[in-house]
Amino acid sequence: MRSSVPFYKLIWRPVYPRCTIRRGHSYHSENHPQPHPFPHAQEQILSSAMRHVPTHGFSMRALTEGAKESGYPEVSVQLLPRGVFDLINYHLVTQRLALKDRVQFTKDSKLGAGKKVRTLTLERLRANQDIIHQWQGALGQMSLLGNIPASLKELHMLSDEIWYLSGDTSVDTSWYTKRASLAALYASSELFMTADASKDFAATAEFVDRRLEDVQKVGKTVGGLGQFVGFWASNTLHLARSWGMRV
Amino acid sequence: MTTKAIACGRTAWRSLHYFAKRKKCQPIVYRCFWCSIRQSQKTEERIGDGRITHFGFETISEAQKEKKVGAVFSSVASSYDTMNDLMSLGIHRIWKDHFVRSLNPGSTSGKGWNILDVAGGTGDIAFRMLDHATQVNGDHSTKVTIADINPDMLAEGKKRALASKYADTGRLHFVLGNAESMPSMPSDSVDLYTVAFGIRNFTNKDAALREAFRVLRPGGVFACLEFSHVNSTLFNAVYKRWSFGAIPLIGQLVAGDRDSYQYLVESIERFPAQEEFRAMIGDAGFLVPGLGYENLSGGIASIHRGIKPL
Repeated sequence: MRSSVPFYKLIWRPVYPRCTIRRGHSYHSENHPQPHPFPHAQEQILSSAMRHVPTHGFSMRALTEGAKESGYPEVSVQLLPRGVFDLINYHLVTQRLALKDRVQFTKDSKLGAGKKVRTLTLERLRANQDIIHQWQGALGQMSLLGNIPASLKELHMLSDEIWYLSGDTSVDTSWYTKRASLAALYASSELFMTADASKDFAATAEFVDRRLEDVQKVGKTVGGLGQFVGFWASNTLHLARSWGMRV
Repeated sequence: MTTKAIACGRTAWRSLHYFAKRKKCQPIVYRCFWCSIRQSQKTEERIGDGRITHFGFETISEAQKEKKVGAVFSSVASSYDTMNDLMSLGIHRIWKDHFVRSLNPGSTSGKGWNILDVAGGTGDIAFRMLDHATQVNGDHSTKVTIADINPDMLAEGKKRALASKYADTGRLHFVLGNAESMPSMPSDSVDLYTVAFGIRNFTNKDAALREAFRVLRPGGVFACLEFSHVNSTLFNAVYKRWSFGAIPLIGQLVAGDRDSYQYLVESIERFPAQEEFRAMIGDAGFLVPGLGYENLSGGIASIHRGIKPL
């Protein structure tokens, strides 16, 4: 039998949303263990490759050396479709996830949110110290057009992680401004650190302190300005009402 | 309503009916886009006792397919390159270059790779592999074995190999063989298995994937460049117009062979979509990295990869 298809269907076909299987959770849960971010084979190659980064930088060379070290032939780096960026991403993700084990605040910690954010940021920057001489190359890779979205997403995830670990529970618009300003602060500090020759990266710590002060000042100014504008807006409204306007 | 109007309507209806009926009786003499689509939607019937498979939109027995595909490629072997350029507007060269560059063949530490290029008769991929290994990675020991089921395509490749700089280096080997069973290739011996624009024509794709899994060494890579399915509806309409309208016509004018190129576009239409083919690669035992495929030119072609686990 010949099935008849309406003429228009040959050109136009409705597009149905594809069902995708989402792995893990779309939210952060303390009650469920988070799934491991990398599959076993990739994890093996990448973790071995990280050991070669101080000498070979974030490069294909480090990846092939890593593959060979973990018993794979050179061709197996095809497991990482984004190549060098996969290696950079591995460093970013593993260091972000390691942050919660490296810095732990006690429940009755008297530290203010600002101090906690400072500690966490510096701790994360310290995780870069072994590979900091190769980090400019990595920043270059991250700024390539195709890698920018993934890099920005990872930056946001880090900023979010730091605020979460510092105990921030805001649910208003400051959720966004806090994450955005911390992301900007972290990105500039990281760049500063690549050129920091001081002992124990003391200059970077000072840089972070100055930026945090700036952010707080700007935050206060913006907050004050908001209050001021709000006050005058409501005053004007009441004045208009007192004159009998229907507003 | 007046009787006149009713009579008029009835006449019009009758003539419409008549035309419709007459059209239905006409045999299909040529295969246009719409006819092909309709033909592709025919219900499948079993032919003879043997197992059946597809030859373009036709349903034929497996035994026949090998013969028919052989005839197609024997017929197109000599004009293969010119036709590829005309049909893809030269883009197939960019795809092949990208394919080879992304695989980055060639060892940096002396011991060369053992590459098997299946269905690579004319040597398109093989020469690019050797060029990349030699010029980019400075590797002079990587070898490529070209396997093809069609002696005419292999003859074309051998002719070109003689003209290339790899003529007597011992880095190129030609093997006549079926990808579904390659007893001449030992198990666990190949670093990189490539098949570019070939797997579509295999009678039994699953058997070919299993054979690829057998010959690859653990950690070895299966990479496949093949026509695939366009994901944008609008672009798809334009693309289908081109492939079903222009390609058989170009084939007729340039190569003097319409049927072979009609088969070509029909076989592209029949080939499983990206997700489906990725699942087939996974079923053969390969690890599929990331998304599992990379679309080229909006999905006209795509690169699939699989890695044999350790």
